[in-house]
Amino acid sequence: MKVVIEIQSLYYTYPSGVEALRGIDVTVHEKEFVAVMGQNGSGKTTFVKHLNGLLKPSKGRVTVRGKDTSKRRVSELARDVGYVFQNPDHQIFCDTVEAEVSFGPRNLGLQKREISERVDEALHAVGLLEYKGVNPKQLSKGQRQRVAVASVLSMKPSILIVDEPTTGQDYRDGIEMLELIKELNQTGHTILFITHDMQLIARYADRVIVFHEGKILLNKATREVFSETEILRRTFLAPPSISLLAQRFTSLYPGTVLTVEEMLEQTLAMIRRKPRPL
Amino acid sequence: MPDPCKRPAGEIVCLEDLSFRYSQALSEALRGIRASFEKGSVVGITGPAGAGKSTLLSCINGVIPHYSRGDLKGRVLLKGRDVSSLSFGELAPIVGTVFQDPDFQTVSITVEEEVAFGPENLGIEPHEIENRILRVLESTRITPLRNRAISTLSGGQKQRVAIASVLSMLPELLLLDEPTSELDPIGTREVFDAIFRLNREHGMTILVVSQKVEHLVDCDRLLVMSEGAIRLDGSPREVFLHQEELEAIGVSVPEVTAFMIALSKEAEYPLPPEKLPLTVDEAEAALSAFFREWKHLP
Repeated sequence: MKVVIEIQSLYYTYPSGVEALRGIDVTVHEKEFVAVMGQNGSGKTTFVKHLNGLLKPSKGRVTVRGKDTSKRRVSELARDVGYVFQNPDHQIFCDTVEAEVSFGPRNLGLQKREISERVDEALHAVGLLEYKGVNPKQLSKGQRQRVAVASVLSMKPSILIVDEPTTGQDYRDGIEMLELIKELNQTGHTILFITHDMQLIARYADRVIVFHEGKILLNKATREVFSETEILRRTFLAPPSISLLAQRFTSLYPGTVLTVEEMLEQTLAMIRRKPRPL
Repeated sequence: MPDPCKRPAGEIVCLEDLSFRYSQALSEALRGIRASFEKGSVVGITGPAGAGKSTLLSCINGVIPHYSRGDLKGRVLLKGRDVSSLSFGELAPIVGTVFQDPDFQTVSITVEEEVAFGPENLGIEPHEIENRILRVLESTRITPLRNRAISTLSGGQKQRVAIASVLSMLPELLLLDEPTSELDPIGTREVFDAIFRLNREHGMTILVVSQKVEHLVDCDRLLVMSEGAIRLDGSPREVFLHQEELEAIGVSVPEVTAFMIALSKEAEYPLPPEKLPLTVDEAEAALSAFFREWKHLP
């Protein structure tokens, strides 16, 4: 698979003197679904801000689709990397959903028709096509989060960074948001999502990168990461509780269990019954 | 049905047929809520976005009707007195609120100033303020941040500063609105541990709104709200038994609970309600019992 992001010994120190990143090496391939986790202040957000050029390395190199980010403008990188902020209200500023979603493409200087096609396509992808003329303020937080995603999608970036997409959302909105991101992943977008929600990581991510004090502690397939309970504990993280339950019975559940469905399936197999279809 | 507000002494909050519609809103955010909360209890409140959870807290801390405008029906009694007749000055020593967005409530430059702000305004002795600062910084795990500027902190760190700054006032009633939405799992665990410790050590009454159901299992009582009404009300074990209704409302049950409910259904294994596991430890015991009874296992 093609490499889309390549990061070599990245260091970043904030003007305040805080050393947020201390030697990061990461490679991301096209169409991967990568979760980025770590305790508060571990450097996750500083890391992803290097991918869209909001921050430039103090030392080291960040390459996005073969091009060094330190030599590219943020506006130029925005065509490759879309960044969905943690709080939709930090990025939404227009009076209508349509104006919000067309803002990016208008700034690219595209033709009217192309803009309107992109707006429709993006709103269709997030299921808000019929809300074009509505003021985002009148929408629920979950819907505003979708507007934020659409306003990024209309730039047609191949890489999407989603920062804590489910903060402040209820369980159903959270699942819907991740289902939307999964669809975008299946249609070819490379996804990096930052989250504290272990259940969502277990359910959706192919790979997990764990940050700890500005360094990468783990960088492996999701199942392998959640088998490292001790390492996770040291970084103030924990596998989903269903994984913890399975770990209490290691002889019966030898691999790492990630979801309730897997746990149920394996348990029913033990008692020689097949699960009924849900 | 007995009148919920005719309960014996020990009641700290009583909601009498409480309804509220924000001005210019089309529908009511709260629709005829009746409930009474006992002094010294920890009450969890959950429910989907837009259920009215934050509005309910705003009615208890006086933000409604003193600050947010709208159409209020019914009454909220705080220690027997109508909230709408109490000034913020009278309310402050009784009820403290930790809001969802920490930026909304921090007023100082440094962490220390922020945590000292409340007790200073209550006229607490400097020596006692110092004691409280040490204690609340410790229990919210931000002691090393004491002299940091708040503007340089991460979202999760700010959330803990907000909690510490309310805890330092030692209110009788503590309201928390999604206090851990930006915290990592262990940070969340620690905040909830701190909440239960305050309850045990100071008898503080706590109402906590959260989407993180796994952390609400230790509450004395759990309320599930939806569309401005209380839909389920009972001990967490009683509430989580209603898995199907909860899912229809848009509330999850703890993973281990969902697993044992599904296993009991699929394997036709009876699981008495009082044995419903809510934690990993309880689920380990329940699953061990299941395996013991399923004789032909390895």
